[in-house]
Amino acid sequence: MNWQTNLKETVSEEGGRGVLRPVEKRTVTIAVAGNPNSGKSTLINAIAGMRLQVGNWAGVTVEKKEAQFESQGRKIRLVDLPGTYSLSPYTQEEIIARDYLVHERPDLIVNVVDATNLERNLYLTVQLMELGIPVVMALNIYDEAEAKGYRIDIRGIEETLGITVIPTSATRKTGLEELLRGIVETADNPAWRVPRHINYGEDVETAAEMVAGAVHDRHPGLAAKFPGRWLALKLMEGDRHVREETGLGEHDIPGEALHHLRRAHGEDVEAVMADVRYSLAAGLTREVLERPELRKAELTEKIDRVVLNRFLGIPIFLAAMWIMFKLTFDLSKPYADWIGDMIAGPFKHWAASLVKFVHGPDWTVSLVTDGIIAGVGNVLVFVPVIFAMMFFITFLEGSGYMARAAFVMDRAMHAIGLHGKSFIPMLLGFGCNVPAIYATRTLENPRDKALTALLIPLMSCGARLPVYVVFIGAFFPTHAGTVLWSLYVMGIVLAIFMGIIFKRTLFRGEAPMFIMELPPYRMPSLRSLTIHTWEKGKHFLIKAGTYILAVSVLVWFLLNLPWGVENKKDSYLGKVGQASAPILGPLGFGKWEAGSSLIAGLIAKEIVVGTMGEIYVKKGEEKKKEAPSFTDDLKEVGSSFVKATKASFANVFATAGITSISTAEDSDKAAERAPLKEVLKTQFTPLAAYAFIVFVLLYMPCVIASVAMVQEFGTWKWYGIAFAYQMVLAWGMAALVYQGGRLLGLGG
Amino acid sequence: MNLAKLKSGETGKITAIGAIGPLKRRLMDMGILIGEVIRVVKVAPLGDPIEVKIKNYSLSLRKKEAEGIAVEVMG
Repeated sequence: MNWQTNLKETVSEEGGRGVLRPVEKRTVTIAVAGNPNSGKSTLINAIAGMRLQVGNWAGVTVEKKEAQFESQGRKIRLVDLPGTYSLSPYTQEEIIARDYLVHERPDLIVNVVDATNLERNLYLTVQLMELGIPVVMALNIYDEAEAKGYRIDIRGIEETLGITVIPTSATRKTGLEELLRGIVETADNPAWRVPRHINYGEDVETAAEMVAGAVHDRHPGLAAKFPGRWLALKLMEGDRHVREETGLGEHDIPGEALHHLRRAHGEDVEAVMADVRYSLAAGLTREVLERPELRKAELTEKIDRVVLNRFLGIPIFLAAMWIMFKLTFDLSKPYADWIGDMIAGPFKHWAASLVKFVHGPDWTVSLVTDGIIAGVGNVLVFVPVIFAMMFFITFLEGSGYMARAAFVMDRAMHAIGLHGKSFIPMLLGFGCNVPAIYATRTLENPRDKALTALLIPLMSCGARLPVYVVFIGAFFPTHAGTVLWSLYVMGIVLAIFMGIIFKRTLFRGEAPMFIMELPPYRMPSLRSLTIHTWEKGKHFLIKAGTYILAVSVLVWFLLNLPWGVENKKDSYLGKVGQASAPILGPLGFGKWEAGSSLIAGLIAKEIVVGTMGEIYVKKGEEKKKEAPSFTDDLKEVGSSFVKATKASFANVFATAGITSISTAEDSDKAAERAPLKEVLKTQFTPLAAYAFIVFVLLYMPCVIASVAMVQEFGTWKWYGIAFAYQMVLAWGMAALVYQGGRLLGLGG
Repeated sequence: MNLAKLKSGETGKITAIGAIGPLKRRLMDMGILIGEVIRVVKVAPLGDPIEVKIKNYSLSLRKKEAEGIAVEVMG
């Protein structure tokens, strides 16, 4: 498709009026490539803003961002490639980026380059230029480079490389208009905007020509599919990904092509090529960059002297984590509670009235309110915490502290086969496993990511706490603290244990490398943070929301059918509970009530308590309240939101402890649970009670965490493994507690 | 002498890269090339990994990864 011919047609049609107006709406596809930490995301956010769509690259867990918009009368489709340092065949990100560039052939590449780190960034530029696709360089973070006293000869880069270079600052939003103009101009004139063929030295060039010639003669099909010079260079490097894809190997390379190169430069052609490309990047940098002679200690170095200090490093890290944890969960909890109350209150009333208004039978009222509306509630209550988590994780990443956190914690985490960055998702797990699983996206390597997600469910989340509290209140009131701690510690010890087992079985082999840049500290822009948080939160709502809703409705069916059962024992849930009783027997709680509660607890583990309450304590005691009027409900929505906001702020400033994890039960709830505790004492022995809470700690992740795991990894594999090992572990540990305890004479 | 043995503040010149395959390529992609000058800036509080300065930026790597990088101490 030729843009210029179309323009001509346009001109001839409208020539009479003498206006040259490009009415052609060809979509210009732009791939944005650049190093991690080059400010690429911020730049894209600044250009595309809310038009960004976040998804995943097909089949992998790497995030894909895309946007479509119009600029200067053109439709522009922007595709953000994963941040990479190179286009090697070894990491997921790099393979995605190069596959896209080679096979989708975008109209042009916008190469985002960090002006403060020119040489390493140009190394990628040189590789991008091998593809023969027009390149526009966004020389980003230009303001910072200027502030440092760097002087960059922009014309020099343009002339040497034959590409358009536009200085930009994504955070200050400067150069964005110019960049868009440069993009459109380049897209309009692709023929004379193809980057200059850079000479890699006589030895490499001769060899490349020979290889390209041989491929062209022997495999014309491949020559048409791949950029010739690029394919030749990759074959010379022995690029395994290209070799697999093309089926070409050593025998397709003319022997004499590499012979001279190897003799002159060494056996390892891959190393020779890296050297050649870096020499070009270094040479160009020397030519165009003028740095002040005297270098003062930079802010980043000063901060790191404290933050990574041998003695202060860990305390500072722990303090930072404590603040993040507190902000994530305490800030969001009042809003989650508010959403929960609104769904359970006003929305249910309104929905019920509506169904009754259309004369729906009783069971439809229940299906709509207890099934669908409650299901929607199950999704919505997670919104505040997911948004809060995404916000803080994005902040940690954008500011540069995430890399430091990994640096400080890597030694400890590596011991159980994890990566330094695994610490944060694991920690979030104590609040709620769901955001914790989403937080694993901060890990780049698929192996690190999967292993971290597998261990997160062993971190005792906030929803398990109400179960512990009721049982501890009933059976161990005098040793409450010790018993509670034993559960948290058990989870951590088992995570270490399982980590070591997984490392030696499922994930045998070389641990992924750690090699990681410690980027300069930068203040992420609020706009960028908000857009990022919003995009990811929206993704959760749409993707996970549907599944969670479906499962909630399914559980409603289990709980309420056959419709009108008097005794819970006769509902489907009760029947499943009865069937599970023999399996739970050796654990000391082989009763249908326990089994049914555990199954209901899959929605969220705290529901175990609610279900037990419903089963054990007579329903008649429930007070029938007068249904509030519509306007009362409406007032309630508003006033309680204000209350939630106040509570959110109060949580952050007033308390030193973490409110979302606290053993203290408010007196209302304690009084409410008193009858249940009495019944429990007649149904469980203390030993069986402890075995039960151990089981609650360890058994399969709740539905929402499961959905998170399946959705985040795009496969059922890891969830399947988590499910299986946790069930075995839960049963085994509870049996060990109960049977071991009996042997020790702790009572049956 | 290898990079893992350099103390904080010491500078070396890279003489050989012993690693192979993906690790070698990754190191090279990050600018760790023969002849390059590299300085150890810091050791993590728990003794591993280390922070180095190369090509005017900061990089961290585990000692095990640094062991394969032969250096000549420059003082």
